[in-house]
Amino acid sequence: MIQLQRLLFFISLLFTITLVNAQQDKEQDTVKAKQVYGIRFGVDISKPIISFIEDDYKGVEIVADARVYKDFYAALEFGYDDKTTVEDYINFTTKGTYAKIGVNYNAYDNWVGMTNEIYVGFRYGISFFDSKVNSYTPNMYGTYFTPNTIEPNTEFSGINAQWAEFIAGMKVETLKNLYMGFSLSFKVMTSNKDPENFKNLYVPGFYKVSLNNMGFGFNYTVSYLIPYARK
Amino acid sequence: MRKSITLIILSFFAITSCEQDDICIDSTTPFLLIRFNDFDDQDEYKSVELDSAWVQDKDLYLTSETVDSLYIPLDLNEDFTSYKLAANEVVDDMNLNYTRSDIFVGRSCGYKTIFEDLELESNTNNWIKNIEINYTTIDNDTIAAITIFH
Repeated sequence: MIQLQRLLFFISLLFTITLVNAQQDKEQDTVKAKQVYGIRFGVDISKPIISFIEDDYKGVEIVADARVYKDFYAALEFGYDDKTTVEDYINFTTKGTYAKIGVNYNAYDNWVGMTNEIYVGFRYGISFFDSKVNSYTPNMYGTYFTPNTIEPNTEFSGINAQWAEFIAGMKVETLKNLYMGFSLSFKVMTSNKDPENFKNLYVPGFYKVSLNNMGFGFNYTVSYLIPYARK
Repeated sequence: MRKSITLIILSFFAITSCEQDDICIDSTTPFLLIRFNDFDDQDEYKSVELDSAWVQDKDLYLTSETVDSLYIPLDLNEDFTSYKLAANEVVDDMNLNYTRSDIFVGRSCGYKTIFEDLELESNTNNWIKNIEINYTTIDNDTIAAITIFH
């Protein structure tokens, strides 16, 4: 008899839990916050600062993204880089434009009425650029002969490269409709035709190309939201 | 779901790292490899007691070594190198001509020079009896481009 009572007690406990759950679901349904949909335009503010500090770099990047569906945002970046790389034995300049297009997924659960983001994303990137070998010193072991530095000024134009990019970042609304954003990106080159007797060691938008055709990047953006719908 | 996606992508960032090429480990400008063979039995190596070796108007490259082969650099600023090889207190000249081309190696190594159309312009025969060119292109350190018979 006691056993039966205990069993009934546990069964009733289970019911209460399900009832409480059902109530919570109902409550969530009744509170409906309006979601803002809009298009956001911005600039990467790190590039002008680096351009100002470093003599051998000039670059700009404009960014745009639009909320298309629930937590998914279509994103676009467009930029220009002009970079002179100085290595031990070579000095070369790369300049050109790039575009990146892709999607961000917002993984952050906002409080009602807030629109901050912690996101992950994917981009396809393409760059059209020129590169020039300014000077090099042939590399030779030892000090018996000292190689002269040669200035070939060899120019390679009309090069293009394409890559895939994985992004993680955040965007925070600091003033009404004004967002500060930071993101890190990991890039893998998919198509990159090296010029004759040289390599694309730097690609605009991809930045430094490592030995296994991978790269890293970051951006720091300020963007402004133009809302077009509230759902 | 959201957390796991973020976690997967963040760990992907952390695990995958770029392969750097900051230190030059590839082979660069090749040296000239000389073999010393017996003049009487031309397929046999024959060691030589070198007193010294140097390029005209430069410091000694090496002093007193007994060798059956020798690595020496070629001048990569000129299309010729004039070596002086001293053995048994006599000096012989070996004047080499070639053309140069610079080949791109990589970010850290830059360019290396390779030597082509190698030819013996002239030489003296004091202790050296004959010089033969085996290969006219020097693009690596492993093949003996020149054999000196003595």
